[in-house]
Amino acid sequence: MILHRLVRLLVVLLVVTFLSFALLALLPGDPTTQILGVSATEEARAQLRQELGLDDPLFVRYAAWLGALFTGDLGTSYITSVPVTEALVERLPVTIELLIAAEIVAIGLAVPIGVAAARRAGSTTDQALTALCFGLLSTPVFVLGVLLILVFAVKWQVLPATGWTPISLDLGWNITSVLLPAITLGCGQLAVYARLLRADMIATLQEDYITLARARGLSPRRILWRHALRPSAISLITAIGLNLGALVGGTVIIETLFGLPGVGRLIVDSIFSRDYLTVQGGVVLISVGYVLVNFAVDLVYAAVDPRIRHA
Amino acid sequence: MAGSGSAHLRPPGQAVLRAEDLVVEFPAGRGRSVRAVSGVSFDLLPGETLGIVGESGCGKSTTARALMQLPPPLSGSVRLDGVELTRLKGEALRRTRRRLQMIFQDPISSLNPRRRVRDIVAEGPRVWGVGGDRVDEILEAVGLDPDTAATRRPHEFSGGQCQRISIARALVLEPEVVICDEPVSALDVSVQAQILGLLEDLKERYRLTLVFIAHDLAVVKNVSDRILVMYLGKTCELAPGSELVERPAHPYTRALLASIPRSGLGLPPADQLISGEPPSPVTPPSGCRFRTRCPKAAPRCAQEEPEMRSLGGDRWVACHYPEVETA
Amino acid sequence: MRRRLGKGFWIASGWIGLVLAAAVLADLLPLPGYDETLVGPPQAGPSLAHPFGTDGLGRDVFSRVVYGARVSLGVGIGAVLLGLLIGAPLGLLAGYRGKATDAVIMAVNDIALAFPALVFALAVVAFAGANLRNVLIVLGVLGVPAWTRLVRGTTMAFAGREFVLAARALGVRDRRILWREIVPNVSVPAASYAFLGMAVVIVAEGSLAFLGLSVQAPTPTWGGLINEGRTIMENAPHLVLAPALVMFLTVLSFNVVGDRLRALTDVRQSGLEHVRRAAAQPLPTAPHTPGGQLLQVADLRTHFVTERGVVKAVDGVSFTLERGRTLAVVGESGSGKSMLIRSILDLLPGAGVVRGGKVYLDGDDLTGFSPKEMRQVLGTRLAAVFQDPMTALNPVRTIGTQVAEPLRVHLGLSGKRARAHAAVLLASVGIPEPERVLRRYPHQLSGGMRQRVTIAMALSCGPDVLFADEPTTALDVTVQDQVLRLIHRQRQERNMATVLVSHDLAVVAEWADEVIVMYAGKVVERGPAADLFERTRMPYTEALLQSVPRLTDPAHHRLRVITGRPPDLAALPSGCAFHPRCPYARERCVTEAPPLFQETREHLYACWYPRGTEAAVGDPVPVALGESGPADPVPVALGESGPAALGEPAAGPVPAGTDRNGSEPGGPEHNGAGSAGPDLKRPELAGPEGADNRGR
Repeated sequence: MILHRLVRLLVVLLVVTFLSFALLALLPGDPTTQILGVSATEEARAQLRQELGLDDPLFVRYAAWLGALFTGDLGTSYITSVPVTEALVERLPVTIELLIAAEIVAIGLAVPIGVAAARRAGSTTDQALTALCFGLLSTPVFVLGVLLILVFAVKWQVLPATGWTPISLDLGWNITSVLLPAITLGCGQLAVYARLLRADMIATLQEDYITLARARGLSPRRILWRHALRPSAISLITAIGLNLGALVGGTVIIETLFGLPGVGRLIVDSIFSRDYLTVQGGVVLISVGYVLVNFAVDLVYAAVDPRIRHA
Repeated sequence: MAGSGSAHLRPPGQAVLRAEDLVVEFPAGRGRSVRAVSGVSFDLLPGETLGIVGESGCGKSTTARALMQLPPPLSGSVRLDGVELTRLKGEALRRTRRRLQMIFQDPISSLNPRRRVRDIVAEGPRVWGVGGDRVDEILEAVGLDPDTAATRRPHEFSGGQCQRISIARALVLEPEVVICDEPVSALDVSVQAQILGLLEDLKERYRLTLVFIAHDLAVVKNVSDRILVMYLGKTCELAPGSELVERPAHPYTRALLASIPRSGLGLPPADQLISGEPPSPVTPPSGCRFRTRCPKAAPRCAQEEPEMRSLGGDRWVACHYPEVETA
Repeated sequence: MRRRLGKGFWIASGWIGLVLAAAVLADLLPLPGYDETLVGPPQAGPSLAHPFGTDGLGRDVFSRVVYGARVSLGVGIGAVLLGLLIGAPLGLLAGYRGKATDAVIMAVNDIALAFPALVFALAVVAFAGANLRNVLIVLGVLGVPAWTRLVRGTTMAFAGREFVLAARALGVRDRRILWREIVPNVSVPAASYAFLGMAVVIVAEGSLAFLGLSVQAPTPTWGGLINEGRTIMENAPHLVLAPALVMFLTVLSFNVVGDRLRALTDVRQSGLEHVRRAAAQPLPTAPHTPGGQLLQVADLRTHFVTERGVVKAVDGVSFTLERGRTLAVVGESGSGKSMLIRSILDLLPGAGVVRGGKVYLDGDDLTGFSPKEMRQVLGTRLAAVFQDPMTALNPVRTIGTQVAEPLRVHLGLSGKRARAHAAVLLASVGIPEPERVLRRYPHQLSGGMRQRVTIAMALSCGPDVLFADEPTTALDVTVQDQVLRLIHRQRQERNMATVLVSHDLAVVAEWADEVIVMYAGKVVERGPAADLFERTRMPYTEALLQSVPRLTDPAHHRLRVITGRPPDLAALPSGCAFHPRCPYARERCVTEAPPLFQETREHLYACWYPRGTEAAVGDPVPVALGESGPADPVPVALGESGPAALGEPAAGPVPAGTDRNGSEPGGPEHNGAGSAGPDLKRPELAGPEGADNRGR
């Protein structure tokens, strides 16, 4: 079973890397122009193309690129002359910290909200929480970010609008700098998670085994947290994995908006400077990371649901 | 009851529907497969009702679908009026469908919630271009008012009424054979009696031949001329209803009868109770499939699969040690 | 339809319509051009002339927002349609064909889903050129995998339904099945998803625009406006707030419309919203005397307040039960038999339920208990087993954890001792290798084994009363018998009382000491099992008994048919609830609900013309006999220490010569007091068997 999944994972990784490579390689935009400038001669370009292997068939170029990828080499930016891997590794911790912080915000708030809403489905509390989730769900990340900056940084001036302090420098400042971005990014997910958990929890609470747990005289608290939460959390876990894509997309905006030196901002900056290799490296990094996290989620899934474990 | 064999079949010319040595398999994951139906044979004379009874997992519903070629059996033969259905494909198979119809267990799931009752019943005539004028007559025959019922959708009807609509849909094409797969098991007793009575009425009126499948022996006995008992994809016993109930020959039939609460029914007390539950059909026991639960199991039962054999009259059993002395 | 969709749906649709109309008709509206500078003072706040104010270049923000809607809605609708056009056919094909087709399409789809969409869109738009067409195509194509998945899932769910099989059995061709049977069913979830998808695409386009990677200036976009505005939002917050608000409302509207459409198909969600929360007026309880019995239920009522009216699920049920006895509750679905159990155990859903009457356990009034006190009774003194063993156990917890839990919670056993005790319990209900089973999960056990586990759990703390709600209905006959024997044996060993709910009269006749027959939430007959089956009084009980096929009947035996169907509990017939289906009903049955009369001290029935007595109506009577009807039987006395009960305290008649408060208990000799109506004739009508068996 595990072997089967590993094989599948490898196939997916191959396809994902190939598509990332191919799509960007096939798109218009000639790297030789970027390196040599618009005034370069046709001969000089042709020579460079040959040196870079740009005239080879796509699969040959992919194989070479993949081989280099395994040694950690994603090429060197034509624009900044910085190795792409180096640039990414330098930026990665920021993005990862932002993602983790955002998930903590999202899951940490979504579980109590979802459970509270489901517990008294249809009540005023439920309706208020559901409305809140709907509102959050309908607020684009960049709108929420701008609003939060307007309130916390501009009006009250309690949190910085932009800037980043790494953990290694100062934990306190690090938390301050990640707080607003993480809340912004987490809130959209929070709504998705809480709504999902609420719906599943309502269904679970109508199951016979919950009624029977009540018939055994167990306390509502115990029933809610020990009996109902785990069977209800299964689609939540799937959603956390699948929504990682949306979350990573969000980091691009958040990092740009809050001026954080993460991978997302690097990609955006590179797009504007037409730094083709760096963009490609960033996309590959994110896609592969996403596939790997979903693979891990599948394993967690089996841990939560014994029916899958034994299937 | 690991019974197979086809000694109990009657001459081919007489039967309107004849199934011989049906085998149906399903994939069971990890490259294995389950033989849900394994060498089942039976036949029906015109106007006859054959009851098929057995517990869940015995393959009775799978048999029904194999008869309908939905999907076709892995091997074996199904002959309708002498025409071999299992060899037909595509259009040729489609053309035989009119003559063989089916009524399903779940009255709600077997009707499209988005279509009106008249459209549901008229679908067959529309596809075949015949019998369109019979829709109202059929609706009336199953006890629905065509004027008020026809324009409504299934959710506006109760379970019993939905089953009437299902019956109308099956009968509007004037089929020869109707396969009823647990048609009353989802219904309340009072409604069950209505539907059973309706089926009997319609059978007479339209001269139908019925295969009636159910898990409730009393229900099966009520409507059937002959009863076939199945266990784990095999046939156990075939006999006319009253003989089967009064003189059960197969230990499994006896166990089934013993399990039915008997108060006030005047039957002898349970002497043949069986323990445990049916084994997994993925790994069935060798020899006779019932031997793991059979009170009379002997070494021979593990080695040799019993075949259907005659006990005289119209009684057939697949058992090495049938209870004939009680006869 | 209108009511089910709710007000929010129509408001949201209105807003979408408004924005759409504004976007389409923007050129015709009396607005300044979106790129016309200095139409007013720069950075001016909202005013009458410029409702959303002006930006740094003095352009009218309202006009820019209206023109921005063109891009947002255009991309939103266009991309969703593109995704639908590609994804839906793929999904239909995969879902309907299944097998290899499905495997191939879904493998590709899963890989496509593995791309972080926005990052990918960014890169593609950046290199292919940021314009309307490219943004639309990229966002549309990125939506394809989600469409395929949705349509495939829904198609698969419907393709497996029996109506599709029925269509194939009719010889309908695949193409027609897809169009006629499947597409209409897929269309509602698809419509719902289209709206949710538009919300997603509008946000995605906004994000691209915010980063400057959507349609380029001077064409305004909502995301672009917000991005422009944020550099000067300290001085002119309206530059950010106005487009943000419009965008929020639009996205919200699409989400609301999509969500309401989804709720149409989602039974469990819509079911919840139909419960209206009414202030619960406690129902009155008829006077009664608590006796010394183990369990006494007096005038128990459970009503649900719904949009359609009050549903009287349980309506004045009374009984008593002693140790070592089994009481069976019989009835068809909707008779209130399961609700009675839940009502006794106080396991009703919270909203919209009104409960009345009393439940006494050893003289303690359970209805007066606080939830905490009740929890101490449940599991220890009262225990329950439900119908479906597949859903009665928590799928994600081991058998051991579940069986040991009540032992730890109620008896305070340590984990280790609770587990050891659990193993003993499992062994006592006939589970082989209990130690091994403790480590298993429910899905690893067969149905019969699971039901044994639930019984073990119910018995774990030595209850006084075991409530078994259709404990064997989901099981095979041979297993059913084993489980019933087990319950019976445990009852004897533990000297407890059992309440067995069942629709199966044969099971009841075999295992019960006393029987209650319920119809439309009321007890219509009650008594010792043997007596009740032998001397059936209530026509409904009689009909029920005769409509069940028996093994002793000859083949093709015509069963007794009860015409019509069980009543709508929200709109019960007047008088006796059974009268529309009763072949013996007469005028009095229509106007007056019969109270419970005594046949013997224990045997009670609710009928004006009981079967097998002189008061009985011989055959169906076409005309009411009015005044000349038979004399009243004697209703049960109230407040009597015996098995006091009453069907309809308010409407119960006071027959002449009998004190309503019953100084004189009705006995057998009182039965059918007086005589049958002298003018009773046998009418020429056919018997009930010949009655029209047509459903309405």
